[in-house]
Amino acid sequence: MAARARQVVKAYGSGETRVVALDHIDVDIARGQFTAIMGPSGSGKSTLMHCLAGLDTVSSGQIHLDETEITGLKDKKLTQLRRDRIGFIFQAFNLLPTLNAIENITLPMDIAGRKPDRGWLDQVVETVGLAGRLKHRPTELSGGQQQRVAVARALASRPEIIFGDEPTGNLDSRAGAEVLGFLRRSVTELGQTIVMVTHDPVAASYADRVLYLADGRIVDEMHHPTADQVLDRMKSFDARGRTS
Amino acid sequence: MTVLKTSMRNFLAHKGRMALSAVAVILSVAFVCGTLVFSDTMSTTFDKLFAATSADVTVSPKSAEGAGQAPSSGKPESMPASVVSRARKAEGVKTAEGAVSSESVTVVNSENKDVGPTSGGPTIAGNWTHNDLRSMDITSGHAPRGPTEAMIDADTADKHDLKIGDELRTIAATGDHTAKISGIAAFKVTNPGATIVYFDTETAQRELLGATGRFTHVSLTAAAGVSDTALKANVASALDKGAYDIKTQKETADDNRKSVGSFLDVMKYAMLGFAGIAFLVGIFLIINTFSMLVAQRTREIGLMRAIGSSRKQVNRSVLTEAVLLGVVGSVLGVGAGIGLAVGLMKLMSGVGMELSTGDLTVNWTTPVVGMVLGVVVTVLAAYLPARRAGKVSPMAALRDAGTPADGRASTLRAVIGLVLTGAGAFGLYTASQADKASEGSLFLGGGVVLTLVGFVVVGPVLASGVVRVFSAVLLRAFGPVGRMAERNALRNPRRTGATGAALMIGLALVACLSVVGSSMVASATDELDKSVGADFIVQSDKGAPITAKAAASLKKAEHIGHITRLKGVEADMTTPGGKTVDEVSLSAADPTYAKDLRRETVAGELSAAYGKNAMSVGDKFAEKHGLGVGDELKVAFAHGRTADLRIAAVTKDDGALDNGAMYLSISTLEKYVPADRITQNEIMFATAAKGQEEAAYQSLKDALAAYPQYKVMDQTDFKETLKDQVGQLLNMVYGLLGLAIIVAILGVVNTLALSVVERTREIGLMRAIGLSRRQLRRMIRMESVVIALFGALLGLGLGMGWGATAQKLLALEGLKVLEIPWPTIIAVFVGSAFVGLFAALVPAFRAGRMNVLNAIATE
Repeated sequence: MAARARQVVKAYGSGETRVVALDHIDVDIARGQFTAIMGPSGSGKSTLMHCLAGLDTVSSGQIHLDETEITGLKDKKLTQLRRDRIGFIFQAFNLLPTLNAIENITLPMDIAGRKPDRGWLDQVVETVGLAGRLKHRPTELSGGQQQRVAVARALASRPEIIFGDEPTGNLDSRAGAEVLGFLRRSVTELGQTIVMVTHDPVAASYADRVLYLADGRIVDEMHHPTADQVLDRMKSFDARGRTS
Repeated sequence: MTVLKTSMRNFLAHKGRMALSAVAVILSVAFVCGTLVFSDTMSTTFDKLFAATSADVTVSPKSAEGAGQAPSSGKPESMPASVVSRARKAEGVKTAEGAVSSESVTVVNSENKDVGPTSGGPTIAGNWTHNDLRSMDITSGHAPRGPTEAMIDADTADKHDLKIGDELRTIAATGDHTAKISGIAAFKVTNPGATIVYFDTETAQRELLGATGRFTHVSLTAAAGVSDTALKANVASALDKGAYDIKTQKETADDNRKSVGSFLDVMKYAMLGFAGIAFLVGIFLIINTFSMLVAQRTREIGLMRAIGSSRKQVNRSVLTEAVLLGVVGSVLGVGAGIGLAVGLMKLMSGVGMELSTGDLTVNWTTPVVGMVLGVVVTVLAAYLPARRAGKVSPMAALRDAGTPADGRASTLRAVIGLVLTGAGAFGLYTASQADKASEGSLFLGGGVVLTLVGFVVVGPVLASGVVRVFSAVLLRAFGPVGRMAERNALRNPRRTGATGAALMIGLALVACLSVVGSSMVASATDELDKSVGADFIVQSDKGAPITAKAAASLKKAEHIGHITRLKGVEADMTTPGGKTVDEVSLSAADPTYAKDLRRETVAGELSAAYGKNAMSVGDKFAEKHGLGVGDELKVAFAHGRTADLRIAAVTKDDGALDNGAMYLSISTLEKYVPADRITQNEIMFATAAKGQEEAAYQSLKDALAAYPQYKVMDQTDFKETLKDQVGQLLNMVYGLLGLAIIVAILGVVNTLALSVVERTREIGLMRAIGLSRRQLRRMIRMESVVIALFGALLGLGLGMGWGATAQKLLALEGLKVLEIPWPTIIAVFVGSAFVGLFAALVPAFRAGRMNVLNAIATE
């Protein structure tokens, strides 16, 4: 297992205003798999990802990354863990405007004081098709290109696991498809582990496995779904949402 | 109405971001108001004192006033006792009392320690009269009776722990007089810092005037129903016409106030000048704050424009916020100013100037000046950012970009800045080449202002280059964190430029003054080495003359080659051409002075100038009046006769010492001025017998043991003293500049704090991908250090340029040697790096504590 969560609870506030975002969740993220987390707004899907990635703390329960328990780690250790073992792709604002593309890509390794693996870096850059644009600043790149730089950054340090938070949310369908294609290939060809939060059925259809969250619980999962299957499943949420 | 409402809401919503700007306004306004309150309070204190101490009408000898600055014999002008009885007979006089008072005294306690004020106030000795009871009460003991008793004021008694029965020695021109304290008298009003000793009338006359039956003035009180003016007229007709000065209480108080007032004014305007510099620096801070607020609010402003706000409305809403900031800052500043004034008064009492908070004077003009200044400056500073806000297009609302960078510094800016700097540099160059100091100073002033403005304008352009150099030297060592710090400092050159410029102003002045100061010391030292032949210099630490008795005591010192007296004397001179020059200062000295201070001559021998009926003049004076060796001048000595003196030498006036001095011998002077009118020795020089320097030094010191007000210095001591004096003066100025530098540091903090807010998402992203808190803090600290060093580099460079120009210009006045105080300059530069670290403390801490999730959460 690349990551696992046991009985994870995340609650905000207390007493009458207590809101439970994650309600005793158990999840296993398999190594070398592309996992998508779906669910309606407020289902807790982003919170789950933040907790798995060590960005947010849990109220109770345990989360392990490989064999390391990350719940209860201090900020310093967590930062190191994120730096060395996790990759991130956010929906927007993935890049530092003051650094150019290649500097952004190697930033996590620079921060750690590690030399990037030249051959691997070239391969990643080649794969995401940015070879000609490495000296460009983010403002000189299109939205799709920016997201590809973000993907390259996430891949470049060969993290154990990459978390994506709606990585194609801000892209048109063509650029989105490109980015998802890279993610898919990095799983299939390179054995990368990826967890992605999305509400887009098409994006979810690139995944090996889709987890459905509702009201802070995992309510369903699918393996190797098509976009239509995902859409149907989501519709049933909507219907239920309307009737209840 | 809605504009006001939005402005109010914005102002309150961003009050944290306004806080440092408000502090800058508060500090500047507080300094202005504090200065005003402080100087008004001083005026009140002196007014009350003068009103309390002056009689209804005072009669004094004609020439007593106005001669304050001229060298004197140390014996005050006096008049016979008959004047008192004649004045008493005038109509409407209730009482008439003869008074004796002298300020040319030093009072020491039984351990030969000077009990006079350390604040520059006078030591006054006089007779105890009824008039003194108007302002003082005897709090213990009794008024002095007979020659062995004296009374002292309570403040001095307190300060020096003097009690009844203690001995006091009064050193006057006529001699020393020892008496025991019989009583202590306290002022009813605040005595800002004079030491006052009273004797009975006969003792005062004998010891201070050298003769009984004479008075320095007559105090008259008016009978009921007689006005001071009427009394003055009556007294005037009762006395010889025109022989006496007759003044009403108001006139006396006004005259006194005038003499104190000019000193107070100098102090007031100097302090206001420093407050002005702080305001100038504050402007940068305010401009930066509003620029950043406007930039951060671009989308919001775009939305307002899109839904129909006019440019004017947007513009006005920003300016309204500035008004609010100005009002809040000024109100607090006025309050803080009063507190500052109280603090200053406490500080003054530390150096011996007593002021009472009971006299605290807040004129209505003070808060008005503070408020107007604070609001106007704030609004002016916010004007440019407000205009920029007005220019935001409605499209900005639709753009995704959070905060657009204000782009590269424009070429136009570079051109304007370089033109200004170039014009300023030309001005400075012209100043350095000037033949006359008066012409050059105009160019110097123009050059300073133009280069300053030029640097401010061109600053953002320079910022990119300078920051790159710094980071190549300093930051690269820190890897990616250093690189990001560099990029952050570079991303907004205008902001970095303005923040650095604020620091630049204060440091430029520091550098300039330190260059001038150390050049002064170096030039004087150089000149001392070159031209001073005397081994020892005897001088009063307060500029008082050396009494005859002290001089006689010095003469008895052993192991001495020769001793030289130097006296100042005033005279009106008439040239052979019939032209009269009034109130010329001459130096009368023993002939050995020519050896003690070597002067080059253009014509004649200096030693000849000390011959009988001979003198020397400076080459400038000689040139101006067409004089040469052999010409005769008619010299009408003050209090003496007119002499025909032959010019025996013309000195070359190119040094700082005795520039333009005219010499004659004391024996010549003595022929034309009566013995009791001969002025006191200003300064004395001594040379040791060969090889007996140590012994001579000790012997001179021993000779002066009873006179703590005088100091013997050998050349080394003298140079040290000179250096200390210049150093003290510089430290005071640095202290006052400290305010401007504090405001500039606030500016750095402000820029960083607002940048951190602006870069919240970036910081969140960096933290998410693994930047540790420590690295993040280091990044912000390095950005801060680079900004501070940028300001320091510009400021120090500019200031050294100014200082060097000033030295070149003042070389005409004897400031021959340029000395750049590298240790100071380097210390300031290194200190700036620490300032940068310090300024980053809070912003870095807050950035480190930022919640990663909130920071990256999409809007």
